[in-house]
Amino acid sequence: MDLFAQVLVNGILLGGLYAVMALGLALVWGVLNIVNLAHGAFIMLGAYVSWYLYTGAHIDPFLGLPISAFVLFVLGYALQRGLLNLVVRAPMFNTLLITFGLEVVLTYLAQIAFSADFRTINPPYAGNSWQLGPVTVPVVRFAAFVVAIVLTIGMWIFLLRTRLGRAIRATAQNLVAARLYGVEPRHLYAMTFGLGLALAGAAGGLYGTVSQINPYIGGTLTAKSFAISIIGGLDNPLGVIVGGLFLGVVESLTKLYIGPTYGDVASFGILLLVLIVRPSGLLGRTA
Amino acid sequence: MNVAAERTPLLRVEGLSAGYGEMLALREASLEIYPAEIVALVGSNGAGKTTLLRALSRVVRSTGRIVFNGHDLDVLTPDEVFGLGLVQVPEGRQLFDRMTVQDNLLMGAYRRDDKAAVLRDLDRMYAMFPRLKERTRQLAGSLSGGEQQMCAMARALMAAPVLMMVDEMSLGLAPVVVEQLMGVLDAIRDEGVTVLLVEQDVQLALSTADRGYVLETGRIVHSGPASELIDDPAVRQAYLGL
Ligand SMILES: Nc1ncnc2c1ncn2[C@@H]1O[C@H](COP(=O)(O)OP(=O)(O)OP(=O)(O)O)[C@@H](O)[C@H]1O
Ligand SMILES: [Mg+2]
Repeated sequence: MDLFAQVLVNGILLGGLYAVMALGLALVWGVLNIVNLAHGAFIMLGAYVSWYLYTGAHIDPFLGLPISAFVLFVLGYALQRGLLNLVVRAPMFNTLLITFGLEVVLTYLAQIAFSADFRTINPPYAGNSWQLGPVTVPVVRFAAFVVAIVLTIGMWIFLLRTRLGRAIRATAQNLVAARLYGVEPRHLYAMTFGLGLALAGAAGGLYGTVSQINPYIGGTLTAKSFAISIIGGLDNPLGVIVGGLFLGVVESLTKLYIGPTYGDVASFGILLLVLIVRPSGLLGRTA
Repeated sequence: MNVAAERTPLLRVEGLSAGYGEMLALREASLEIYPAEIVALVGSNGAGKTTLLRALSRVVRSTGRIVFNGHDLDVLTPDEVFGLGLVQVPEGRQLFDRMTVQDNLLMGAYRRDDKAAVLRDLDRMYAMFPRLKERTRQLAGSLSGGEQQMCAMARALMAAPVLMMVDEMSLGLAPVVVEQLMGVLDAIRDEGVTVLLVEQDVQLALSTADRGYVLETGRIVHSGPASELIDDPAVRQAYLGL
């Protein structure tokens, strides 16, 4: 029972991180109709930015998050303006092809630039934890969870309450009307993609605090983000939180009861199941 | 309005042609609209009225000349045209269905930076359309047809338009609602907003407007003061069934 509680807590803490990872993918998918297969590779880049900031400039990984996010935002804005605006609202196959190409290129470049070595970000407090009854709560994982939830809810408020957030939702719903009401789509798409990558950058920084990084982590992270977006739907960041927590918990329990190597199998099992049972997602609209 | 002819037009369209692919839906149309006029553009299904508005808003390509308030629109993008105050209430309303009424209205003010004035205008809209005030948090897609049209008009007015183009406002609405919306058009004209009213309901449009243009298969075939058009035997026979 104690073990179960511990694994549950681990799963929830992991789930928060999963939610931010997926949030950027869901945002870009919902607004631009691009399933960004390179999303995980951008998370990987964000993790390396954090790693360099920590090892090179001794910037605490949590304080470095805004920098990772900003770097990825700029990269995202430029990529969308320069390349991806060509495929917005193009047939899905084209967008998959081009983002898959990006993923391959980014992974390759990362391998050259960063080497294939595993890296970890180990701030002095990395080993600290709190004991809550039978359950151990590692400080870093808890902090990553809190930041992740704050980011996700912040994104939700941004979309609901700000002028740009409203324009992003409006464009996703009715492009014709948005254009008639003063939205410049290329700029708006670039802002949206930039925001999606900023979230990936922050997610990468958080990922680096709780896990090892190497150039090849992108593929799995994309797949998990995809699964969560399907579960949570694209409409509402809160759905993504639920999806993230769900996946985190199921994965942790699977590792405990079936075997440590089956964690990823669990996420794809869920994905398949959802696609078969409720193609529109568990929590609403998917595309 | 005879005095109108001596002033500079707010909008001048010369030899405007537009279409979809090979097909021309609008051929060599010319028209002028003067400040604070209500001008009707009438014609039957498929005459090219909506196409003309789309060309003015720069969402379809066109040849010919469009001058609005001293600006050549040909080289502008839809958002720039909108920024100049040429705003349309599109056919079929095109609301943001899964956004609230309030968010729809605020989208109308997307290009405005004068926050205080925007909030004042929001209150004005709710005073003008009390039905919307009761429904600020309702999703636009779940409004009744009449309420949706009110929402679409209010959204356009939130843009502080100089020229508001209204496409098929009366379609499918009860006479009392149509009357109310016509009253709104009159009221905003009194505040100095110019109106281009696109209608299939020729009687309705010409009885409200100052001047009118009749469009037939892409060409403007009649034009003049609304009171003269409504008495023109050709117009009466073709459009009023008299
Ligand atoms: N997106 C489009 N693609 C191809 N043809 C179009 C398109 N939109 C309109 N048309 C054609 O252009 C012509 C003019 O259409 P338009 O919508 O301008 O007419 P309208 O006067 O607004 O008619 P209605 O009163 O029925 O709204 C029609 O023959 C129509 O079939
Ligand atoms: Mg029409």
